[in-house]
Amino acid sequence: MKKVININFQGRILPIEEESYETLKQYIESLRQYFDAEEGRDEIINDIECRIAELCDDRLKKGAVCITEDDMRLIIESIGRPADFEAQDGFEATTNASASNANQQKFSANDENPKRLYRDEQNKVIGGVCAGIANYLKLDPLLVRVLWILLFGISLFAYVLLWIAVPNTSTNQIGSARKRLFRDIDAKVIGGVCAGLSKYFDIRVRYIRLLFLVPSILLVLNWNHFHLFQFWEFDDFPNFIELTFSPSAVFVYIVLWLVLPEAKTTADKLEMRGEKVDINSIKNTIQTDMEGFGKRAQSWGSTIYNKAKTYDAQSAQTPSNAVPEPAQRGGCLHFAGRTIIILFKAFVYFILGVITISILAALFGVGIVTTGLLPLRHFILEDGAHNWYAYAIIVFFIWVPVIGIVTAIIRKIAGIKKANVWVRGGFWSLWALSWIFIPLFFATLTKSFSKQNDPMEQTYTLPNAKVNYLEVSAEPKPKYYNHTWLKIEPFTFLDQDTVYVRNLRIRIVKAASDSFEVKYVRISNGKTMQEAERLASLINFDLQQKDSTLILDKGIAINKKDKFRNQHVIMTIAVPVGKRFKITHKGWAQVNVRVNKNGWRSETHSGFTINDGFEGDDWDQNIDTESFDYDRDVEYIMTPTGLERVDGVKSSDDKEDPEQLKNRLEELKRESEQIENDLKKTWEQKQKEADDLKKQLDKKGDNLNRNSTKKESSVSDTVKAFAFGFDAIKLLVSRFQS
Amino acid sequence: MDIQNTQSQMRKGVLEFCILSIINRGEVYPSDIIDQMKVANLHILEGTLYPLLTRLKNAGLLNYRWVESVSGPPRKYFVMTDAGKEAFSVLLQTWNDMANAVSLLTQPQTPNTEA
Repeated sequence: MKKVININFQGRILPIEEESYETLKQYIESLRQYFDAEEGRDEIINDIECRIAELCDDRLKKGAVCITEDDMRLIIESIGRPADFEAQDGFEATTNASASNANQQKFSANDENPKRLYRDEQNKVIGGVCAGIANYLKLDPLLVRVLWILLFGISLFAYVLLWIAVPNTSTNQIGSARKRLFRDIDAKVIGGVCAGLSKYFDIRVRYIRLLFLVPSILLVLNWNHFHLFQFWEFDDFPNFIELTFSPSAVFVYIVLWLVLPEAKTTADKLEMRGEKVDINSIKNTIQTDMEGFGKRAQSWGSTIYNKAKTYDAQSAQTPSNAVPEPAQRGGCLHFAGRTIIILFKAFVYFILGVITISILAALFGVGIVTTGLLPLRHFILEDGAHNWYAYAIIVFFIWVPVIGIVTAIIRKIAGIKKANVWVRGGFWSLWALSWIFIPLFFATLTKSFSKQNDPMEQTYTLPNAKVNYLEVSAEPKPKYYNHTWLKIEPFTFLDQDTVYVRNLRIRIVKAASDSFEVKYVRISNGKTMQEAERLASLINFDLQQKDSTLILDKGIAINKKDKFRNQHVIMTIAVPVGKRFKITHKGWAQVNVRVNKNGWRSETHSGFTINDGFEGDDWDQNIDTESFDYDRDVEYIMTPTGLERVDGVKSSDDKEDPEQLKNRLEELKRESEQIENDLKKTWEQKQKEADDLKKQLDKKGDNLNRNSTKKESSVSDTVKAFAFGFDAIKLLVSRFQS
Repeated sequence: MDIQNTQSQMRKGVLEFCILSIINRGEVYPSDIIDQMKVANLHILEGTLYPLLTRLKNAGLLNYRWVESVSGPPRKYFVMTDAGKEAFSVLLQTWNDMANAVSLLTQPQTPNTEA
């Protein structure tokens, strides 16, 4: 069973099967492209069309009921496809006609036709641009792709442009399975956009719906502070996601709804799915169509019934005008639609690319850092099982997936579609193995850090405590050569057996007397309390005062036997009121400075409050509210109210002047009052105008009575609306004031 | 040497000449050209013929006339213009010279006994 349509083709009425009509359309389009550069293109096409019509007519005269697919195939063969013109490029003697026919069959875009740039649909990965260029330049597509990726930033833009601008090879070949984007009205919820997209990209419809739905809901709930990637502490990326997804999901949906044609005919539906338009596939589609037909017919009937009821007499006119035919939309709109689709597709690929690259970079980073730290393991890890766990994790958890993902990407680029099951399974199982080691490793590691010593406060008596200015600095290093170029903080190597840890926190407080005071505690973790105590007592922390400079030791020495168990020192410097001090950048890059505005309080109580020392926080982060930003290499002066910079620059998080705030509030109040007054004035004015209109209407004669009442009612309506608007504004203003 | 390439070059060279000689016999319909060439054992696709005719027409060598047909719309018949006839005679001359030369050269060389 085939649908036959009548076409008016070059002055002849031809009954033709729908599918052969599609073939004919595609064939003529392919000719149009082939002769694009030709001077008399339209004339040539016209001549050929005439000839086709004539040949069809011949067939009908011989008694055929309609033009079938077979007829069309024979006709097209006798006239020749663009591919055949290329191969023949002239004419040939009968002797080798059959041989070259075989050649013509084998035609494909990548071994012939070097003159024009096409997007290669057969060898494509994304849009076929790279394959097309490779074909044009006679290069290996892989090479082009690799170069392309290396120049990723610049080429992304160019890629999208070429994707839109360059025609693909499928338009050059008849009957090739080319997908088109339609709205799928059979599976629609709102407009069928999501269903159509899912068919085009071959993704399940629910994922596409989610992609549209989640941001739309977020938009409605105004969940602006929902940062997906908040833990990255990377400001630009979440904003970018938010900006593009939440408001524009609705926008994109509407645009697609407007631009995409709906899949109406069977051929459309097949094109939407990218299936080849042939008898079998059409049969299948019709069968599934029929199944849903009953239901749709019912609902259709009821809607038509309702419509007929509501429109009553007018119903005869409206339906013809109400539904615009998507097929009637111009080629311009279609081109815009295609562009939007490609941009959308490119955008999706871009996001995927960014995510893949960042995952890869993160994995590589972690891999390199952990591998780079390996020489330090002697200073942290105990021998035996602990060590092996660490190795297992680095290899299985980090390097295995990195290698796996890199291989997968290269395979994808190289166009190897079939994945090796054993390799993939091997990667996965090795990675799964690492999950056994991770808890073991961390369990043993946390155990070695579990206990902490009871810190004892020690005082360093400054030889010259009464100086007016104190500079805190590290011991200058001997500069024979710059050996710190690959330094992994907070570690620094001095020799094979000892590592120096710069783990120091400095607190600045107000001194009770007029002399500087320095106190410190030594703290360490360990497996047991005794071990922690022992390690703490081993911390050798030397201080030296030279004139007005307080020189710190080069670091806490840690050897391979005793290991690193978070040994650190908290030093408190008490600065007398009116005296200046500075902490320099030199040497101790890791020094944490914590400024306590409330003076010695923590010390006069039960020694040190050390619980804030273990957060791993940086010196410039304010976790407790009593401290504030501290800038290094800047001179500070202690005042009765707290620390202040000598150069008078205010710290960034200082509170705003309350006086200023008050002024601003007053200003805002004044403004709102003025707005209210203005509104009142316009309200009065409009009312006056309305009254005038009324009077004018009254003056007019009785014969216009009917009209005037109508007008009057509309005038009073506008007045009402205005009053309503005014009330609303008033309400808003009053809210604003409160 | 690429034999196929040379073959197609040769055919390309004489194709226009063949078509012109058919039209030179009298007014003709494009599909008749195909048929006549088939009789001469030369095969050409209509898809290559139409662009060639259009090119020759645009070059002023051919002209066409609409002829009413019994069934369907009028058909395009091609005729030679004066310029076309002139060009044809030049080409014919060239072809005869060429054919002579080629047949002379492809014959096995006769030893020059007279000298």
